[in-house]
Amino acid sequence: MTPTRETFGNIPPSSQALFYLVAAVSLGVGAIGFWRRVRRWRQGQPIPPPALAAEALGNLLARWRPGLRRLWVEGLGQQRVRGRGLSSWAHGSLFIGFLVLLLGTTLLEVDHLAGMVSEKLHFHHGAYYVGYEFTLDVLGLVFLLGTALFFGRRLRRPASVGHRTTDWYVLGSFLTIGVTGYVVEALRITWQRPVGLGAWCSPVGWALASVFRGLSELQARHWHLAVWWLHALLVFGFLAAIPYTRLLHILTGPLNLLCAPPAVGFLAPVTTAEAEAAGRLGVRDLRHFTWQQLMSLDACMECGRCEEACPATATAKPLSPKRLVQDLRGLLDGLAPGGAGDPSSGNEERFNVHARIAAETLWSCTACSACGFVCPVRVDPLRLILDLRRNLVAEGGLRGTAAVVLRRLQASGNPWGLPPEARTDWMRGRNPPASVGQPTS
Amino acid sequence: MSPPDSLAAAPTVQENPHFEFLYWVGCAGAYDPRAQRVTRALVTLLNYAGVNFAILGNEERCTGDTARRLGEELLFQELAAANIATLAKYQVRKIVAHCPHCVNAFRSDYPPLGGRYEVLHHTELLVQCLREGRLRLPNALPVSLRGPLTYHDPCYLARVQGVHAAPREVLERALEGGADGAVREMPRCREKTSCCGAGGGRLWMEEAPQQRVCTQRAKEALATGAHTVAVACPFCLTMMTDGVAAQGVATRVLDIAEILVERLRL
Repeated sequence: MTPTRETFGNIPPSSQALFYLVAAVSLGVGAIGFWRRVRRWRQGQPIPPPALAAEALGNLLARWRPGLRRLWVEGLGQQRVRGRGLSSWAHGSLFIGFLVLLLGTTLLEVDHLAGMVSEKLHFHHGAYYVGYEFTLDVLGLVFLLGTALFFGRRLRRPASVGHRTTDWYVLGSFLTIGVTGYVVEALRITWQRPVGLGAWCSPVGWALASVFRGLSELQARHWHLAVWWLHALLVFGFLAAIPYTRLLHILTGPLNLLCAPPAVGFLAPVTTAEAEAAGRLGVRDLRHFTWQQLMSLDACMECGRCEEACPATATAKPLSPKRLVQDLRGLLDGLAPGGAGDPSSGNEERFNVHARIAAETLWSCTACSACGFVCPVRVDPLRLILDLRRNLVAEGGLRGTAAVVLRRLQASGNPWGLPPEARTDWMRGRNPPASVGQPTS
Repeated sequence: MSPPDSLAAAPTVQENPHFEFLYWVGCAGAYDPRAQRVTRALVTLLNYAGVNFAILGNEERCTGDTARRLGEELLFQELAAANIATLAKYQVRKIVAHCPHCVNAFRSDYPPLGGRYEVLHHTELLVQCLREGRLRLPNALPVSLRGPLTYHDPCYLARVQGVHAAPREVLERALEGGADGAVREMPRCREKTSCCGAGGGRLWMEEAPQQRVCTQRAKEALATGAHTVAVACPFCLTMMTDGVAAQGVATRVLDIAEILVERLRL
């Protein structure tokens, strides 16, 4: 007999039907939540869309190549998540465990549907089955390891890492999903009594099955159905919760990697005509950011890398890139998902970013690009800051020496306000070259 | 008027219309007394290596980096348009600059406005000259360069433009023969460098002594035990000099071009 197991084995048809119903409801709840975020982003400014029809396929590919490459290297390859010690391992384990378990469950469903078309199309048996069971059995442990590491991290909670109460629920559900998955498998092994490879390919489930040795087949089947439901409900709860918790980054992280401008701190020029047409320069109302910038706010996990790299934060200035992104995200939460009011007018004082973000915060930035450079999902706080600075300056919000410098630049083309004729004075310089200085010892 | 030292003199684009490289001096290099010494050092090296170059002289304007990063977009575009017109007038194709902010403006800010050039940071051009043997280094290392040295990567050069190998190669060649040899790296180096505190217009803003970014960075540099802190940006030069001075030590802060001049005993 080739090793296999029956999909939905021991699950009565009524439970199966209910299972699909709950699946549909949870996906619906998740989709609605995600759509509500999308509708908030869409109130941002449009980015000139690639002229799909007019463009040759080659051009289109060239345009999307950087984003697709980032998805591959930085998303799937986790390039930017790495290098932060144990927390990188935690994310890596959870990530690979989650992906493989998700892929496994999807394959199982594909096999199930294929079998409905024709019995011959079933592929969930034999060598494939052995490999499948073994891989998922091991990756379940990896998933649990990642969860455990994150529990540890949340308990110690470094200052730069953001925290919400829902984070405990999320981690708790991960832990329970992982454990109940193994229990379901162990109970299945208890009543099914597979032998040989069919048993050994699930080492964790097999070992756990010894705990249930005392159960009769009937008891094992009852418990199997109960724990299977618990497992399924938790998974569906997780799917539904994605857009309402920190888990949202599962979707927004890759999306931002795909859509973010390739260069850190890249600024699109604004023409005078555009500024006149819009009646403003830079960002005053939250909706003056591009939709991609608004989306990037939802990609922030509050991991704190930007804050640790920021020279302003390090010198106790009133700026933390993470805080800034989170404050803007707070404003985004307040946007009606339906888009109340005319988004282009931006007159609603409620979404005036400058009422929320102090000018001092914006002026503390040295534009060093460290924040965007370290962000695993390429949120670009510098570009947010520069867009806000543009508006501050246009509204006459810059004072002090920096304002004087701008006036000098205007008048004489250099920040010192010296005459252009003096530009070659360095050739007549009389101060001794630096090399005359004595070396230190 | 003839300059005191012919090696430290540069022809203008009118004087040398068939130049290969336009040397973009930059505002700091033109007006700031300390950065002027870097300009003289670099011009000395370019002349010594036989690079065919010219300067715009009094037709140069600020690239607009400071204006743009302070948020004055229209002023930036005004300055950029003026510079792009001047560069077009003299058919400039290759630019070398010793200011990473100028390099970044030319490489990243100007192309969308129609200004496209081949732009080199001076350390990149110096590496070429060293590799091609156009800058021949004497065997003996001067006493002044015999101590350990660290290099502070400018954000806009290392992180934004990804140039961090060239400055190190210049330094390694300049320090060849010394007991300490290679550059002593700070914990935060290359793309992960930490800001000197001058970017984004902060050079022009008041800063409380306990909030100075340069003090922190200077401490990091001094912790390597370096006798010389090498920099490659006029803003970093100002900030690191201040930061080191605040620590009350006599460690020298020099641009890479100055270190090379010292090695060549020019």
